[in-house]
Amino acid sequence: MTFVQVLATELLKLRRSKVTWLSLAALSLGPLAIALMMWIVREPGRAAKLGLLGTKANLSGLSATWPAYFSMLTMVVGMGGMLLLAFIVAYVFGREYTEGTAKNLLALPVGRHWFALAKLVVAAVWWAALVVAVLAEGFVLGAALALPDFSRATALGAVHDALLAAAIAYLLVPVVAWIAMLGRGYLPPLGFALAMLLLGDVFSHTGWAAWFPWSIVPLLIGAIGKPAASVAASSLVVVALTFLAGIAATIAQLRWADNAQ
Amino acid sequence: MRRGEIYGFLGRNGAGKTTTIRMLLGLIRPSGGDVEVLGGRVRPGTTAPFARVGYLVESASAYPNLTVRENLDVQRRLTRAPRAAVAEVIELLRLGGLAERRARVLSLGNKQRLSLARALLHRPELLILDEPTNALDPAGIVEVRELLRSRAGEEGVTVFVSSHILTEIAHLVDRIGIMHEGRLLEELDRDQLRVEERLYVEVGVAQPARAATLLAAAGFARVEQAGGRLRVYDAQGRVPELARVLVGAGLDVTEITQAREDLEAHFLRLTGGAQ
Repeated sequence: MTFVQVLATELLKLRRSKVTWLSLAALSLGPLAIALMMWIVREPGRAAKLGLLGTKANLSGLSATWPAYFSMLTMVVGMGGMLLLAFIVAYVFGREYTEGTAKNLLALPVGRHWFALAKLVVAAVWWAALVVAVLAEGFVLGAALALPDFSRATALGAVHDALLAAAIAYLLVPVVAWIAMLGRGYLPPLGFALAMLLLGDVFSHTGWAAWFPWSIVPLLIGAIGKPAASVAASSLVVVALTFLAGIAATIAQLRWADNAQ
Repeated sequence: MRRGEIYGFLGRNGAGKTTTIRMLLGLIRPSGGDVEVLGGRVRPGTTAPFARVGYLVESASAYPNLTVRENLDVQRRLTRAPRAAVAEVIELLRLGGLAERRARVLSLGNKQRLSLARALLHRPELLILDEPTNALDPAGIVEVRELLRSRAGEEGVTVFVSSHILTEIAHLVDRIGIMHEGRLLEELDRDQLRVEERLYVEVGVAQPARAATLLAAAGFARVEQAGGRLRVYDAQGRVPELARVLVGAGLDVTEITQAREDLEAHFLRLTGGAQ
Protein backbone atom coordinates (compact mmCIF):
# COMPACT_ATOMS: atom_id res chain seq x y z
CA MET A 1 0.00 0.00 0.00
CA THR A 2 2.79 2.40 0.93
CA PHE A 3 4.60 1.53 -2.25
CA VAL A 4 1.48 2.17 -4.34
CA GLN A 5 1.11 5.64 -2.82
CA VAL A 6 4.77 6.48 -3.38
CA LEU A 7 4.57 5.15 -6.93
CA ALA A 8 1.49 7.32 -7.60
CA THR A 9 3.40 10.43 -6.51
CA GLU A 10 6.39 9.51 -8.65
CA LEU A 11 4.21 8.92 -11.71
CA LEU A 12 2.56 12.31 -11.19
CA LYS A 13 5.95 14.01 -10.99
CA LEU A 14 7.09 12.26 -14.17
CA ARG A 15 3.89 13.07 -16.06
CA ARG A 16 4.13 16.75 -15.22
CA SER A 17 7.78 17.02 -16.19
CA LYS A 18 8.95 18.48 -19.48
CA VAL A 19 11.97 16.20 -19.42
CA THR A 20 9.65 13.26 -19.97
CA TRP A 21 8.43 14.61 -23.28
CA LEU A 22 11.85 15.90 -24.27
CA SER A 23 13.26 12.40 -23.86
CA LEU A 24 10.55 11.04 -26.18
CA ALA A 25 11.35 13.74 -28.73
CA ALA A 26 15.09 13.01 -28.46
CA LEU A 27 14.81 9.25 -28.93
CA SER A 28 12.26 9.53 -31.73
CA LEU A 29 14.73 11.60 -33.70
CA GLY A 30 16.82 8.41 -34.02
CA PRO A 31 14.51 6.49 -36.41
CA LEU A 32 13.87 9.71 -38.35
CA ALA A 33 17.60 10.19 -38.88
CA ILE A 34 18.06 6.57 -39.97
CA ALA A 35 15.10 6.76 -42.32
CA LEU A 36 16.58 9.91 -43.84
CA MET A 37 19.92 8.15 -44.37
CA MET A 38 18.16 5.21 -45.99
CA TRP A 39 16.37 7.55 -48.33
CA ILE A 40 19.63 9.35 -49.21
CA VAL A 41 21.34 6.03 -49.93
CA ARG A 42 18.46 4.90 -52.12
CA GLU A 43 18.05 8.15 -53.96
CA PRO A 44 21.43 9.86 -53.94
CA GLY A 45 20.58 12.01 -56.96
CA ARG A 46 17.53 13.61 -55.43
CA ALA A 47 19.31 13.93 -52.09
CA ALA A 48 22.27 15.68 -53.70
CA LYS A 49 19.90 18.09 -55.43
CA LEU A 50 18.45 18.92 -52.04
CA GLY A 51 21.98 19.52 -50.72
CA LEU A 52 21.84 16.55 -48.34
CA LEU A 53 24.78 14.36 -47.42
CA GLY A 54 24.46 12.12 -50.44
CA THR A 55 28.12 11.45 -51.06
CA LYS A 56 28.98 10.80 -47.46
CA ALA A 57 26.07 8.42 -46.97
CA ASN A 58 27.10 6.50 -50.07
CA LEU A 59 30.64 6.23 -48.82
CA SER A 60 29.55 4.70 -45.56
CA GLY A 61 28.70 1.50 -47.42
CA LEU A 62 25.12 1.45 -46.27
CA SER A 63 22.45 -0.36 -48.18
CA ALA A 64 18.85 0.79 -48.10
CA THR A 65 17.37 -2.51 -46.91
CA TRP A 66 15.38 -3.68 -43.94
CA PRO A 67 18.30 -5.62 -42.38
CA ALA A 68 20.56 -2.54 -42.55
CA TYR A 69 17.74 -0.36 -41.25
CA PHE A 70 17.04 -2.74 -38.34
CA SER A 71 20.69 -2.93 -37.42
CA MET A 72 20.84 0.86 -37.15
CA LEU A 73 17.55 1.00 -35.26
CA THR A 74 18.92 -1.45 -32.70
CA MET A 75 21.97 0.76 -32.39
CA VAL A 76 19.78 3.80 -31.68
CA VAL A 77 17.86 1.97 -28.96
CA GLY A 78 21.00 0.39 -27.51
CA MET A 79 23.61 3.16 -27.58
CA GLY A 80 21.34 6.21 -27.71
CA GLY A 81 19.12 4.58 -25.16
CA MET A 82 21.95 3.91 -22.72
CA LEU A 83 22.73 7.62 -22.65
CA LEU A 84 19.11 8.76 -22.67
CA LEU A 85 18.15 6.31 -19.94
CA ALA A 86 21.02 7.55 -17.80
CA PHE A 87 19.70 11.04 -18.39
CA ILE A 88 16.18 10.02 -17.32
CA VAL A 89 17.43 8.33 -14.17
CA ALA A 90 19.77 11.23 -13.36
CA TYR A 91 16.75 13.49 -13.64
CA VAL A 92 14.31 11.31 -11.67
CA PHE A 93 16.74 10.98 -8.76
CA GLY A 94 18.77 14.18 -9.04
CA ARG A 95 15.78 16.51 -9.32
CA GLU A 96 14.91 16.03 -5.66
CA TYR A 97 18.22 17.64 -4.77
CA THR A 98 18.27 20.25 -7.53
CA GLU A 99 14.70 21.31 -6.72
CA GLY A 100 15.36 21.22 -2.98
CA THR A 101 12.61 18.68 -2.32
CA ALA A 102 14.75 15.77 -1.11
CA LYS A 103 14.50 16.94 2.49
CA ASN A 104 10.69 16.76 2.22
CA LEU A 105 10.87 13.02 1.52
CA LEU A 106 13.24 12.02 4.27
CA ALA A 107 11.27 12.58 7.48
CA LEU A 108 8.01 10.87 6.62
CA PRO A 109 6.23 7.77 7.84
CA VAL A 110 7.44 6.10 4.63
CA GLY A 111 10.61 4.01 4.48
CA ARG A 112 13.17 5.76 2.30
CA HIS A 113 13.81 2.62 0.27
CA TRP A 114 10.29 2.92 -1.19
CA PHE A 115 11.30 6.17 -2.88
CA ALA A 116 14.34 4.55 -4.49
CA LEU A 117 12.29 1.58 -5.68
CA ALA A 118 9.39 3.71 -6.94
CA LYS A 119 11.76 5.95 -8.86
CA LEU A 120 13.42 2.92 -10.47
CA VAL A 121 10.01 1.50 -11.39
CA VAL A 122 8.93 4.83 -12.87
CA ALA A 123 12.15 4.99 -14.89
CA ALA A 124 11.53 1.42 -16.08
CA VAL A 125 7.95 2.18 -17.10
CA TRP A 126 8.99 5.28 -18.99
CA TRP A 127 11.94 3.53 -20.60
CA ALA A 128 9.73 0.65 -21.74
CA ALA A 129 7.21 3.12 -23.19
CA LEU A 130 9.98 4.98 -25.02
CA VAL A 131 11.47 1.82 -26.49
CA VAL A 132 8.09 0.54 -27.68
CA ALA A 133 7.23 3.95 -29.16
CA VAL A 134 10.54 4.22 -30.98
CA LEU A 135 10.38 0.68 -32.35
CA ALA A 136 6.85 1.34 -33.57
CA GLU A 137 8.01 4.59 -35.16
CA GLY A 138 10.88 2.66 -36.77
CA PHE A 139 8.53 0.13 -38.31
CA VAL A 140 6.20 2.81 -39.63
CA LEU A 141 9.05 4.80 -41.19
CA GLY A 142 10.63 1.65 -42.68
CA ALA A 143 7.31 0.67 -44.20
CA ALA A 144 6.79 4.19 -45.54
CA LEU A 145 10.16 3.97 -47.28
CA ALA A 146 9.12 0.60 -48.73
CA LEU A 147 12.55 -0.86 -47.95
CA PRO A 148 13.35 -4.23 -49.58
CA ASP A 149 14.36 -7.55 -48.00
CA PHE A 150 11.86 -7.61 -45.15
CA SER A 151 11.46 -10.93 -43.43
CA ARG A 152 9.61 -11.89 -40.34
CA ALA A 153 12.75 -13.49 -38.89
CA THR A 154 14.85 -10.32 -39.40
CA ALA A 155 12.14 -8.19 -37.82
CA LEU A 156 11.74 -10.47 -34.82
CA GLY A 157 15.52 -10.69 -34.44
CA ALA A 158 15.80 -6.89 -34.46
CA VAL A 159 13.03 -6.47 -31.90
CA HIS A 160 14.59 -9.16 -29.74
CA ASP A 161 18.02 -7.48 -29.85
CA ALA A 162 16.60 -4.00 -29.22
CA LEU A 163 14.56 -5.21 -26.24
CA LEU A 164 17.49 -7.16 -24.84
CA ALA A 165 19.80 -4.14 -25.24
CA ALA A 166 17.15 -1.91 -23.63
CA ALA A 167 16.79 -4.34 -20.73
CA ILE A 168 20.54 -4.57 -20.18
CA ALA A 169 20.83 -0.77 -20.39
CA TYR A 170 18.15 -0.55 -17.70
CA LEU A 171 19.95 -2.98 -15.42
CA LEU A 172 22.94 -0.62 -15.40
CA VAL A 173 21.05 2.47 -14.24
CA PRO A 174 20.66 1.86 -10.50
CA VAL A 175 24.36 2.68 -10.27
CA VAL A 176 23.60 5.98 -12.03
CA ALA A 177 20.80 6.55 -9.49
CA TRP A 178 23.27 5.97 -6.66
CA ILE A 179 25.66 8.53 -8.14
CA ALA A 180 22.76 11.01 -8.38
CA MET A 181 22.06 10.53 -4.66
CA LEU A 182 25.73 10.68 -3.78
CA GLY A 183 26.36 13.78 -5.90
CA ARG A 184 22.98 15.38 -5.05
CA GLY A 185 22.02 16.56 -8.50
CA TYR A 186 21.90 15.83 -12.22
CA LEU A 187 25.42 16.51 -13.32
CA PRO A 188 27.44 13.88 -11.41
CA PRO A 189 25.32 10.96 -12.71
CA LEU A 190 25.41 12.31 -16.26
CA GLY A 191 29.17 12.69 -16.07
CA PHE A 192 29.42 9.17 -14.66
CA ALA A 193 27.23 7.69 -17.41
CA LEU A 194 29.28 9.38 -20.13
CA ALA A 195 32.51 8.18 -18.56
CA MET A 196 31.16 4.62 -18.38
CA LEU A 197 30.12 4.67 -22.04
CA LEU A 198 33.60 5.82 -23.02
CA LEU A 199 35.18 3.19 -20.77
CA GLY A 200 32.84 0.65 -22.33
CA ASP A 201 34.36 1.52 -25.68
CA VAL A 202 37.91 1.29 -24.30
CA PHE A 203 37.28 -2.09 -22.66
CA SER A 204 35.68 -3.44 -25.79
CA HIS A 205 39.09 -3.25 -27.49
CA THR A 206 40.89 -5.05 -24.69
CA GLY A 207 39.17 -8.39 -24.69
CA TRP A 208 37.47 -7.62 -21.41
CA ALA A 209 34.29 -6.41 -23.08
CA ALA A 210 32.18 -9.33 -21.91
CA TRP A 211 33.13 -8.55 -18.32
CA PHE A 212 32.68 -4.79 -18.25
CA PRO A 213 29.01 -3.91 -17.74
CA TRP A 214 29.00 -0.88 -20.06
CA SER A 215 30.62 -2.85 -22.91
CA ILE A 216 27.96 -5.52 -23.04
CA VAL A 217 25.26 -3.56 -24.87
CA PRO A 218 27.72 -2.32 -27.53
CA LEU A 219 28.89 -5.92 -27.99
CA LEU A 220 25.36 -7.21 -28.34
CA ILE A 221 24.16 -4.71 -30.90
CA GLY A 222 27.34 -4.62 -32.94
CA ALA A 223 28.48 -1.12 -32.04
CA ILE A 224 31.88 -2.83 -31.79
CA GLY A 225 32.59 -5.31 -34.56
CA LYS A 226 29.92 -7.79 -35.59
CA PRO A 227 26.84 -8.09 -33.40
CA ALA A 228 27.20 -10.89 -30.85
CA ALA A 229 24.91 -13.81 -31.54
CA SER A 230 23.91 -13.86 -27.88
CA VAL A 231 24.98 -12.46 -24.57
CA ALA A 232 27.42 -14.69 -22.70
CA ALA A 233 26.15 -16.09 -19.42
CA SER A 234 29.09 -14.49 -17.63
CA SER A 235 28.05 -11.09 -19.03
CA LEU A 236 24.52 -11.60 -17.77
CA VAL A 237 25.91 -12.38 -14.32
CA VAL A 238 28.03 -9.20 -14.43
CA VAL A 239 25.00 -7.12 -15.43
CA ALA A 240 22.79 -8.73 -12.78
CA LEU A 241 25.39 -8.07 -10.10
CA THR A 242 25.75 -4.45 -11.25
CA PHE A 243 21.97 -4.08 -11.02
CA LEU A 244 21.78 -5.50 -7.50
CA ALA A 245 24.80 -3.56 -6.29
CA GLY A 246 23.33 -0.36 -7.73
CA ILE A 247 20.01 -0.89 -5.95
CA ALA A 248 21.71 -1.76 -2.67
CA ALA A 249 23.99 1.29 -2.88
CA THR A 250 21.09 3.63 -3.76
CA ILE A 251 18.96 2.40 -0.86
CA ALA A 252 21.90 2.49 1.55
CA GLN A 253 22.75 6.03 0.48
CA LEU A 254 19.19 7.19 1.01
CA ARG A 255 18.67 5.22 4.18
CA TRP A 256 21.86 5.75 6.15
CA ALA A 257 23.86 8.61 4.74
CA ASP A 258 23.61 12.17 6.01
CA ASN A 259 21.19 14.02 3.79
CA ALA A 260 21.76 17.67 4.44
CA GLN A 261 21.21 19.66 1.29
CA MET B 1 9.58 20.20 25.36
CA ARG B 2 6.17 20.20 26.98
CA ARG B 3 3.14 19.08 25.06
CA GLY B 4 1.21 22.00 23.55
CA GLU B 5 3.87 24.60 24.13
CA ILE B 6 5.46 26.85 21.56
CA TYR B 7 9.20 26.64 21.95
CA GLY B 8 11.29 29.33 20.34
CA PHE B 9 14.72 28.27 19.23
CA LEU B 10 16.71 31.42 18.97
CA GLY B 11 20.16 31.91 17.59
CA ARG B 12 22.16 34.02 15.24
CA ASN B 13 23.01 32.79 11.75
CA GLY B 14 25.37 29.85 12.03
CA ALA B 15 24.48 29.15 15.67
CA GLY B 16 23.43 25.57 14.86
CA LYS B 17 19.65 25.90 14.68
CA THR B 18 19.19 24.24 11.30
CA THR B 19 21.75 21.57 12.15
CA THR B 20 19.77 20.75 15.31
CA ILE B 21 16.55 20.56 13.30
CA ARG B 22 18.19 18.32 10.72
CA MET B 23 19.18 16.00 13.55
CA LEU B 24 15.64 16.06 14.96
CA LEU B 25 14.36 14.97 11.55
CA GLY B 26 16.97 12.27 11.03
CA LEU B 27 18.45 14.06 8.02
CA ILE B 28 21.88 13.94 9.61
CA ARG B 29 23.24 11.96 12.52
CA PRO B 30 24.61 13.73 15.57
CA SER B 31 28.35 13.53 16.12
CA GLY B 32 27.56 12.55 19.71
CA GLY B 33 24.52 11.68 21.81
CA ASP B 34 21.03 10.66 20.76
CA VAL B 35 17.97 12.42 19.43
CA GLU B 36 14.47 11.59 20.66
CA VAL B 37 11.29 12.86 19.07
CA LEU B 38 7.88 12.04 20.58
CA GLY B 39 9.47 9.39 22.73
CA GLY B 40 11.18 7.55 19.89
CA ARG B 41 14.85 7.59 19.00
CA VAL B 42 15.55 9.25 15.67
CA ARG B 43 18.35 8.22 13.35
CA PRO B 44 18.68 8.56 9.58
CA GLY B 45 15.99 6.34 8.12
CA THR B 46 13.69 6.38 11.15
CA THR B 47 10.03 6.56 10.16
CA ALA B 48 8.00 5.86 13.31
CA PRO B 49 7.48 9.33 14.81
CA PHE B 50 7.07 11.17 11.54
CA ALA B 51 3.39 10.36 11.02
CA ARG B 52 2.91 12.76 13.93
CA VAL B 53 5.43 15.40 12.91
CA GLY B 54 5.08 18.23 10.40
CA TYR B 55 8.16 20.14 9.42
CA LEU B 56 9.69 22.84 7.33
CA VAL B 57 13.44 22.91 7.17
CA GLU B 58 15.77 25.34 5.44
CA SER B 59 14.24 27.05 2.43
CA ALA B 60 10.72 26.54 1.19
CA SER B 61 10.59 24.04 -1.64
CA ALA B 62 8.03 22.39 -3.87
CA TYR B 63 7.90 20.51 -7.15
CA PRO B 64 7.96 23.38 -9.66
CA ASN B 65 5.94 21.57 -12.35
CA LEU B 66 3.19 20.51 -9.99
CA THR B 67 0.36 22.80 -8.97
CA VAL B 68 -0.12 23.86 -5.37
CA ARG B 69 -2.90 21.30 -5.02
CA GLU B 70 -0.79 18.54 -6.60
CA ASN B 71 2.14 19.34 -4.34
CA LEU B 72 -0.14 18.99 -1.34
CA ASP B 73 -1.65 15.84 -2.76
CA VAL B 74 1.84 14.30 -2.90
CA GLN B 75 2.20 15.06 0.81
CA ARG B 76 -1.30 13.71 1.51
CA ARG B 77 -0.45 10.38 -0.10
CA LEU B 78 2.87 10.11 1.69
CA THR B 79 1.36 10.84 5.10
CA ARG B 80 -1.86 8.88 4.43
CA ALA B 81 -3.96 11.91 5.30
CA PRO B 82 -7.61 11.90 4.20
CA ARG B 83 -8.50 13.45 0.84
CA ALA B 84 -10.29 16.38 2.48
CA ALA B 85 -7.06 17.43 4.20
CA VAL B 86 -5.76 19.12 1.04
CA ALA B 87 -8.77 21.43 0.72
CA GLU B 88 -8.69 22.17 4.44
CA VAL B 89 -5.08 23.21 4.46
CA ILE B 90 -5.49 25.26 1.27
CA GLU B 91 -8.24 27.14 3.07
CA LEU B 92 -6.20 27.45 6.26
CA LEU B 93 -3.20 28.99 4.51
CA ARG B 94 -5.40 31.03 2.15
CA LEU B 95 -3.97 29.39 -0.92
CA GLY B 96 -7.38 29.02 -2.61
CA GLY B 97 -6.64 31.47 -5.42
CA LEU B 98 -3.35 29.74 -6.16
CA ALA B 99 -4.44 26.11 -5.88
CA GLU B 100 -4.23 25.39 -9.61
CA ARG B 101 -1.05 27.39 -10.21
CA ARG B 102 2.24 25.63 -10.76
CA ALA B 103 4.60 26.03 -7.84
CA ARG B 104 7.32 27.48 -10.04
CA VAL B 105 5.33 30.69 -10.59
CA LEU B 106 4.67 31.28 -6.89
CA SER B 107 6.32 34.18 -5.12
CA LEU B 108 8.80 33.30 -2.40
CA GLY B 109 6.23 34.21 0.23
CA ASN B 110 3.57 31.98 -1.30
CA LYS B 111 6.07 29.16 -1.66
CA GLN B 112 6.66 29.54 2.06
CA ARG B 113 2.90 29.28 2.69
CA LEU B 114 2.79 26.15 0.56
CA SER B 115 5.60 24.65 2.63
CA LEU B 116 3.70 25.51 5.80
CA ALA B 117 0.56 23.96 4.35
CA ARG B 118 2.59 20.84 3.62
CA ALA B 119 3.79 20.73 7.22
CA LEU B 120 0.26 21.12 8.62
CA LEU B 121 -1.59 18.88 6.17
CA HIS B 122 -1.67 15.66 8.18
CA ARG B 123 -2.56 17.44 11.44
CA PRO B 124 0.70 16.65 13.21
CA GLU B 125 1.09 16.68 16.98
CA LEU B 126 4.47 18.28 16.67
CA LEU B 127 5.52 21.00 14.27
CA ILE B 128 9.21 21.57 13.68
CA LEU B 129 9.62 24.79 11.77
CA ASP B 130 12.89 26.31 10.70
CA GLU B 131 12.44 30.06 10.24
CA PRO B 132 8.84 29.69 9.04
CA THR B 133 8.24 33.38 8.39
CA ASN B 134 11.19 33.81 6.03
CA ALA B 135 10.16 35.76 2.95
CA LEU B 136 6.73 36.59 4.33
CA ASP B 137 5.54 40.18 4.40
CA PRO B 138 4.57 41.74 7.75
CA ALA B 139 0.90 40.77 7.34
CA GLY B 140 1.98 37.22 6.47
CA ILE B 141 4.18 37.07 9.56
CA VAL B 142 1.26 38.07 11.80
CA GLU B 143 -0.95 35.53 10.04
CA VAL B 144 1.53 32.70 10.60
CA ARG B 145 2.00 33.73 14.20
CA GLU B 146 -1.78 33.58 14.74
CA LEU B 147 -1.95 30.28 12.94
CA LEU B 148 0.72 28.70 15.12
CA ARG B 149 -0.90 30.12 18.22
CA SER B 150 -4.26 28.67 17.26
CA ARG B 151 -2.75 25.26 16.44
CA ALA B 152 -1.09 25.20 19.83
CA GLY B 153 -3.99 26.68 21.77
CA GLU B 154 -6.96 24.94 20.15
CA GLU B 155 -5.48 21.67 18.96
CA GLY B 156 -2.71 21.17 21.48
CA VAL B 157 -0.05 21.04 18.78
CA THR B 158 3.47 21.38 20.13
CA VAL B 159 5.49 23.84 18.10
CA PHE B 160 9.26 24.01 17.87
CA VAL B 161 10.13 27.09 15.91
CA SER B 162 13.56 28.46 15.12
CA SER B 163 14.23 32.04 14.30
CA HIS B 164 16.80 34.74 14.29
CA ILE B 165 14.03 37.32 14.27
CA LEU B 166 13.84 38.10 17.96
CA THR B 167 10.68 40.17 18.06
CA GLU B 168 8.80 37.39 16.30
CA ILE B 169 9.88 34.82 18.88
CA ALA B 170 9.15 37.12 21.80
CA HIS B 171 5.57 37.59 20.64
CA LEU B 172 4.86 33.97 20.00
CA VAL B 173 6.57 31.58 22.33
CA ASP B 174 5.95 30.04 25.74
CA ARG B 175 9.58 29.16 26.16
CA ILE B 176 12.76 30.07 24.50
CA GLY B 177 16.13 28.42 24.05
CA ILE B 178 19.08 30.53 23.05
CA MET B 179 21.64 28.76 20.92
CA HIS B 180 25.11 30.04 20.24
CA GLU B 181 28.03 28.33 18.51
CA GLY B 182 26.38 24.94 18.70
CA ARG B 183 25.47 25.13 22.39
CA LEU B 184 22.25 25.89 24.19
CA LEU B 185 23.20 28.91 26.29
CA GLU B 186 19.99 29.49 28.13
CA GLU B 187 16.36 28.41 28.39
CA LEU B 188 13.75 30.84 29.62
CA ASP B 189 10.02 30.31 30.14
CA ARG B 190 7.41 32.98 29.63
CA ASP B 191 7.65 34.34 33.18
CA GLN B 192 11.39 34.43 33.06
CA LEU B 193 11.19 36.14 29.71
CA ARG B 194 9.34 38.98 31.42
CA VAL B 195 11.85 39.13 34.28
CA GLU B 196 14.61 39.05 31.75
CA GLU B 197 13.15 42.17 30.25
CA ARG B 198 15.05 43.88 32.97
CA LEU B 199 14.17 47.33 34.18
CA TYR B 200 16.93 49.83 34.53
CA VAL B 201 17.24 53.56 35.00
CA GLU B 202 19.02 55.58 32.38
CA VAL B 203 20.64 58.76 33.61
CA GLY B 204 21.79 61.68 31.50
CA VAL B 205 24.44 63.42 33.54
CA ALA B 206 27.52 65.61 33.09
CA GLN B 207 30.76 63.74 33.85
CA PRO B 208 29.30 60.24 33.65
CA ALA B 209 32.54 58.59 34.83
CA ARG B 210 32.57 60.59 38.04
CA ALA B 211 28.84 60.04 38.45
CA ALA B 212 29.36 56.26 38.15
CA THR B 213 32.02 56.35 40.87
CA LEU B 214 29.76 58.36 43.14
CA LEU B 215 26.82 56.01 42.62
CA ALA B 216 28.99 52.98 43.27
CA ALA B 217 30.16 54.57 46.50
CA ALA B 218 26.51 55.19 47.41
CA GLY B 219 25.70 51.50 47.11
CA PHE B 220 24.44 51.20 43.50
CA ALA B 221 26.23 48.02 42.52
CA ARG B 222 25.25 47.62 38.84
CA VAL B 223 26.10 50.79 37.02
CA GLU B 224 27.20 50.74 33.41
CA GLN B 225 28.24 53.57 31.15
CA ALA B 226 26.64 53.52 27.72
CA GLY B 227 27.16 56.26 25.18
CA GLY B 228 27.82 59.10 27.59
CA ARG B 229 24.92 58.04 29.81
CA LEU B 230 24.62 55.75 32.78
CA ARG B 231 22.53 52.64 33.10
CA VAL B 232 21.75 51.70 36.66
CA TYR B 233 20.27 48.24 36.88
CA ASP B 234 19.55 48.23 40.63
CA ALA B 235 17.83 51.60 40.95
CA GLN B 236 14.24 50.37 41.22
CA GLY B 237 12.62 52.24 44.10
CA ARG B 238 15.79 54.26 44.68
CA VAL B 239 15.45 56.92 42.01
CA PRO B 240 15.07 59.83 44.49
CA GLU B 241 18.16 58.64 46.36
CA LEU B 242 20.08 58.36 43.07
CA ALA B 243 19.09 61.89 42.09
CA ARG B 244 20.13 63.23 45.49
CA VAL B 245 23.58 61.62 45.24
CA LEU B 246 24.28 63.18 41.87
CA VAL B 247 22.75 66.61 42.49
CA GLY B 248 24.32 66.71 45.97
CA ALA B 249 27.74 66.27 44.34
CA GLY B 250 27.07 69.23 42.11
CA LEU B 251 26.56 67.27 38.89
CA ASP B 252 24.00 68.49 36.39
CA VAL B 253 21.39 65.78 35.82
CA THR B 254 19.66 66.28 32.49
CA GLU B 255 17.44 63.22 32.42
CA ILE B 256 16.36 60.22 34.44
CA THR B 257 14.34 57.66 32.52
CA GLN B 258 13.07 54.23 33.41
CA ALA B 259 13.82 51.77 30.61
CA ARG B 260 13.84 48.04 30.07
CA GLU B 261 16.31 45.75 28.43
CA ASP B 262 14.29 43.78 25.93
CA LEU B 263 14.83 40.30 24.67
CA GLU B 264 16.85 41.53 21.76
CA ALA B 265 19.33 43.34 23.94
CA HIS B 266 19.48 40.35 26.26
CA PHE B 267 20.09 38.04 23.35
CA LEU B 268 22.79 40.24 21.89
CA ARG B 269 24.49 40.49 25.24
CA LEU B 270 24.44 36.68 25.61
CA THR B 271 25.71 35.98 22.14
CA GLY B 272 28.50 38.48 22.07
CA GLY B 273 27.14 41.84 20.99
CA ALA B 274 25.75 43.33 17.85
CA GLN B 275 28.78 42.97 15.66
